[in-house]
Amino acid sequence: MDRLASVLFAVLRGLVQAACIVALTFFLCRVMPGDVVDVLGLEGGLTADQQVEMRRALGLDQPLLSQFVTWVSHALQGDFGRSLRFDQPVSDMLANALPVTLRFAFLSFAFGVGLALLLAIAATAFRSRWLDGLIDGINIWSIAVPTFCAGFAAILIFSIWLGWLPVIGGLLMPVIIIGLDNAGQIVKSLREELKEAVMLPHVRTARAKGLSPWRIAIAHVLPAAAPIMLALSGLALGGLVAGSLTMEVLFALPGIGSLTLNAIHGRDYPIILAAVTVIAVALVLINTVIDILHRLIDPRLA
Amino acid sequence: MIGKLLEIRDLDVIIHGRKLVDSISFALAPGETVALIGESGSGKSMTASAIMGLLPPGITMAARSAIVFDGKPLDPADETAMRPLRGRDISVVFQDPMSCLNPFMTAGAQIDEALRRLGHGDGTKRRARILELLQLVEMSDPATIASRYPHELSGGQQQRVMTAMALAAEPKLLIADEPTSALDATVQAEILALLRRLQDRLGNAMLFITHDLAAASQLADQIVVMHKGRCVEQGPTAEVLLSPKDPYTRMLVSTRTMLAELPATAPRSSAEPLLAISGLQYEYPAKRLFSKPFRAVDGISIAIAPGETLGILGESGSGKSTLAKLIIGLARPGGGDIALFGESLAARNFRLTPAMRKRCQIIFQNPYGALNPRLTIEKAMREPLELLGLSGPDDRAKLGSALADVNLTPDYLGRYPHQLSGGQRQRVCIARALLSEPSLLICDEIVSALDATVQMQVLRTLKALQQKRGFAMLFIGHDIEIVRWVSDRIAVMHRGKVVEQGEAGALVTHPVEAYTRKLVAAMPRPIA
Repeated sequence: MDRLASVLFAVLRGLVQAACIVALTFFLCRVMPGDVVDVLGLEGGLTADQQVEMRRALGLDQPLLSQFVTWVSHALQGDFGRSLRFDQPVSDMLANALPVTLRFAFLSFAFGVGLALLLAIAATAFRSRWLDGLIDGINIWSIAVPTFCAGFAAILIFSIWLGWLPVIGGLLMPVIIIGLDNAGQIVKSLREELKEAVMLPHVRTARAKGLSPWRIAIAHVLPAAAPIMLALSGLALGGLVAGSLTMEVLFALPGIGSLTLNAIHGRDYPIILAAVTVIAVALVLINTVIDILHRLIDPRLA
Repeated sequence: MIGKLLEIRDLDVIIHGRKLVDSISFALAPGETVALIGESGSGKSMTASAIMGLLPPGITMAARSAIVFDGKPLDPADETAMRPLRGRDISVVFQDPMSCLNPFMTAGAQIDEALRRLGHGDGTKRRARILELLQLVEMSDPATIASRYPHELSGGQQQRVMTAMALAAEPKLLIADEPTSALDATVQAEILALLRRLQDRLGNAMLFITHDLAAASQLADQIVVMHKGRCVEQGPTAEVLLSPKDPYTRMLVSTRTMLAELPATAPRSSAEPLLAISGLQYEYPAKRLFSKPFRAVDGISIAIAPGETLGILGESGSGKSTLAKLIIGLARPGGGDIALFGESLAARNFRLTPAMRKRCQIIFQNPYGALNPRLTIEKAMREPLELLGLSGPDDRAKLGSALADVNLTPDYLGRYPHQLSGGQRQRVCIARALLSEPSLLICDEIVSALDATVQMQVLRTLKALQQKRGFAMLFIGHDIEIVRWVSDRIAVMHRGKVVEQGEAGALVTHPVEAYTRKLVAAMPRPIA
């Protein structure tokens, strides 16, 4: 019962978070100078009358608050409106872009977190100075080298000089770059956490019981480190959003990141809002799932 | 050596060339109990870890040392050779059962794990054995206990589960490493008696590691006294305790005799009380939505006369430290009143004036936490002087004489807390609290983090100062002997309430309430 209540609480908190992010984005969009009509006007030379007429048709002349209410009531029914520039339903555009981003995000996340876990576990198990060095190296790399720099360098080396990989559309390079960046952010804390978990009194008890090293690792060390592993994975996912934006632009992947960036340039509010909403809901969803998993793993939290 | 189960010869345990354990030798016959006695840092737990092969990384046994178990030499560094012995022939019960049990597994699952490793039949057979083991450690409802997680068990229940797990294979040797020091006094007594009964039933030998002479005298046939890694004295229990030869052992034993001889109590003063608490209440807010708040202090009424010492005796969770926090204004009571120096605090919203703070000082349990590690002793002591507006040109002389009062020389002023021992740090805290010449001193478990010999030195100093300066004390503690030794009167706290209060000697010799009687019954008997 208590456990159910705490899970419900986590879900509720997630919903409130998502709502706040969406509202904030809506109003921040309007703080940007100029709107879509200004941009189209610059590009296509609309007359002042045409601009006024266009604003009226798009509902941009309404008070901000009533625009927000309209947008929310439509969005709740799954209608994100039409793109102001391309005159297509936003939901169609999202549906095209989402799978690209999801595939990319999933692969990078799996690679990054998998690598970090593997290295941290190996470094703890073998107490190898060489592995410790590697972990510090990846950590420094992720702090010091921005992903777009690594992206340019990779394109230059592997696509242009060596000609091994395509510049456009290939997933291998961006996945490795973002995965490495993700791994670097979490691998060090992960290793420290595992090293501490190995020294925990209840792990010593397990050794005193004469259990095998495998049994100790799986039943006693990993559960103790699981909460922090989950939290770090969540952190890595957050970094993924920023990472996928640059990588999609750099490697011309037609995902949410590219879509959003273009929409921001064109002041295409419905797309910006829809994309941010999707990203926010996804992140909040993931964080909520992590929170719930944490509560399920640790009986003390229930 | 025929007839010996465990023999240890010239055991050295070394870290970076420094000996943590230095030339320890002793032997243990089957079914016998040897107590390894020592204070913190004496190397007694390292000795146990060496026998189990559980020395922390970087710590090794010297080549010349020998541990012979059941006729075979052991190599603590050889994990593959040690593992089959652990949990089968040698088992261990550790100090703090809360952190030594896996918080993610139920008690039953943890015992099951031990059974599975022993190859103990299928699920139903193991299940029966789990219940049998829990019954063996005298748990009334084994099935329920087995399904609980460690945090759902009390400290005593946790330690019983640990013991059940350790006894799963009916080992020849049980190492009990301070098995009761994390537990309340009444629970301590229960667990010690249980270990004794189990040994009678199962016939295992026991290596009992403790800092507590009284506990050792209850269980052990032989005693090995360790001090700074070396063995200073060993022999049959009665012989060592009744006629100790080594000066260190003598000091250990004398701390117990000191507790038995009470200092003169102050005559009951009829003056107006310095502190009068009436119907005081405090609740910690509920941790979760819709659950009930926890009432830590539940209608307490006590009073302290000038120069008097009132002992607050209680086990963990009784609300005694919350009471101290309320008196000095670190928390606001939910009801009742505190009259400090004749002034009602409720009337001033429980905010103490600077003048009140000057006259009412507090000393906390952990002297390491109470001193800022980045400040020298001088700076740490000067701070309250400045805050209370007592600072002047003769500060250094004042601080020096304050240190002299607690038997420290003035050159300690230039040192940092980490350069001091626990006892010295607590002396500094006492000196600092007394700088403002308070008329009421609140001592919250001030000696519980210290070793027994150091405890007594600190208490003696404090008591002597009180006789000289005449301040009153509220002395909070969980150790009935210490509280009795320090106090003129005692109030016994249990679940937020004062269950009994009275003159210290009378309360301990003739307890009235059931709870006080239980506390007194758990009191260690004189060694003789």
